Amino acid sequence: MRVAVALLAILLAPIPAVAELLDFSGAEWARIVRHGPWPLPFRADPSNRVSGDADAIALGRTLFFDTRLARDGRLSCATCHDPALGWSEQRARSEGRTTLTRNTPSLLDVRLRRWFGWDGAHDNLWATSLRPILDPREFASDPTAIADLLRGDGKLSACYDRAFGRDIAGVDAETLAIDAAKALAAFQETIDSARTPFDDFRDALDRGDRIAAARLPLAAQRGVRLFVGKGNCAFCHLGPAFTNGEFHSIGIPFFTAEGADGGRHAGIKTLQSSKLTLLGPWNDDPDLAPGTATRHVDPQHRNFGEFRVPGLRDVARTAPYMHDGSLASLRDVVKHYSDLDPDRLHNDGEAILVPLKLSESEIDDLVAFLESLSPTVRTSDASSGPRCN
Amino acid sequence: MMRVLVLAAILAVPAAMTRAADILPVFDAHLHYSHDAWAPVPPERAVQILRQAGLKRAMISSSDDEGTQKLHALAPDIVIPVLRPYRKRGDVSTWVRDETVLAYLAERLAKYRYAAIGEFHVYGADADLPVVRGMVQMAKQRKLFLHLHGDADAVERVLKQDPEARILWAHSGFDRPENVRAMLERHKNLWCDLAFRTDHAIGGKVDPAWRALFMAYPDRFMLGTDTFVPERWHYVVEHASWSRAWLEDMPREVAERIAYRNGESLFGDALTRE
Repeated sequence: MRVAVALLAILLAPIPAVAELLDFSGAEWARIVRHGPWPLPFRADPSNRVSGDADAIALGRTLFFDTRLARDGRLSCATCHDPALGWSEQRARSEGRTTLTRNTPSLLDVRLRRWFGWDGAHDNLWATSLRPILDPREFASDPTAIADLLRGDGKLSACYDRAFGRDIAGVDAETLAIDAAKALAAFQETIDSARTPFDDFRDALDRGDRIAAARLPLAAQRGVRLFVGKGNCAFCHLGPAFTNGEFHSIGIPFFTAEGADGGRHAGIKTLQSSKLTLLGPWNDDPDLAPGTATRHVDPQHRNFGEFRVPGLRDVARTAPYMHDGSLASLRDVVKHYSDLDPDRLHNDGEAILVPLKLSESEIDDLVAFLESLSPTVRTSDASSGPRCN
Repeated sequence: MMRVLVLAAILAVPAAMTRAADILPVFDAHLHYSHDAWAPVPPERAVQILRQAGLKRAMISSSDDEGTQKLHALAPDIVIPVLRPYRKRGDVSTWVRDETVLAYLAERLAKYRYAAIGEFHVYGADADLPVVRGMVQMAKQRKLFLHLHGDADAVERVLKQDPEARILWAHSGFDRPENVRAMLERHKNLWCDLAFRTDHAIGGKVDPAWRALFMAYPDRFMLGTDTFVPERWHYVVEHASWSRAWLEDMPREVAERIAYRNGESLFGDALTRE
């Protein structure tokens, strides 16, 4: 009798909070592990001879926060690419000298991209860095003004001389503008996202440490299961950076005040008409950065209205979402895929996309997983490094 | 100075006329103006786009048909109505089992004139479902084309139901050129549109397999933009330019047939034909 009472007491006792690991299948483990390790090692950009150079990074960091790059002195790169907001901004659409048609993309892990901008209009980071400086809707500057800024500021000039190994006085304005863009690119290559609870979970799975893996909250575990399984999100948001780096239509409207945002179609046409590509004279190492993709890419009908698949690291910090900032929260994004309107997709186009028809709890779980892609503790970021002085 | 300006004007006029005459007219066989396009691209704007693209004719089908009628009323010289068996775009995947579709088609056919029924989506054995069979018979009675988006199997099944049916195969079935060739060889009453495909012409150059097919069957192909979402109305002009560019890579006579002559000879007088 006493034994039976004791057993009953054990059965009725409150269950202690023990971290739990879902019964991930071998296939799920394999798919999850593909999203790491993180961070990825730095590899210098061969098309930019100052990539990875400390002086160039300092020059780029200084310029990034310098409003004098804009014609009216009102904007800097950081105005829209705010470090505190995942190097993006809260506005749905960027405000330059006028309201633009797209949301400011985050610069986190930008060094890992193959195409730059929502439309991939550039195949390198220095060209895409120069674009807003020259764009009449944004900084509205020109090579002469950029050169005057660099030459007229003793600290910037000295920084330039050290970074590029030559006297700025003998450099023409066009070269200086592109060099400024290359310094900006060198700086942006240091904007890496930090390790996250997901990375700890993923690494623990990889080494078979079930106890450590179980530290990821269950909601996030269920979310990652959906992400690599039923949701098939990992089909496009793949690899350690959670993106295939390519372009897709996901049923988001793309009208603009003037007509429609051609997205990738327009981007390819811009790329093909630009001299600032890997195929052009400003590529510092055509052997190592030959621009093969640029040579062969050609606009297709399906590209009209396609936009780049963004990486998802620290995505919780970069709201709003989509190319036009039309979705305010991660929950809205997940609900978009849950309620996807297949009529917005061509029958023979994005066959991978179907409405996920998620339950409310599944939506919560996917959001919990996406939030686990942000670090829990923030340390200093790339903005706090040395500047020209 | 005045004489120089007058001379320049005289020289400029014939040059401009020549350029206008040189622009290849385009018969666009695959456009939609569905309910969700009406507000963002009002009918007047849509017609303006058609004219801006230099379209000689535009075969338009919509979900529902009111969109087509709106454009036809504004531009009867360009718009050739085609009747879609959909009342909203979401009907794409359900219409083959929706028996109310036949009554809808009958009502519209009694009210307006059309060159074809379509574009409709049907694959494989679904082509033998009663709704599809009924629609094929409606087209037969009225001697209308069928604008069919589907696989070769569906095309074959429809042609078994009515061996005299005339089919415009949307997107050339998204099939490979050798398979399209086999279908054209087998069926004299099959034509193809090239909407939403670019594999036949990359970078303005025509793919060799497609070139051979166009040369073998120059009277069986047509162009099409496919405005499957309303934003793509802003792609119509671009698509016409893109088409003219790759057609430059074909012999002029074949280019003209694909660009507009085939469409014109098949559908140009469809609304006035007895």
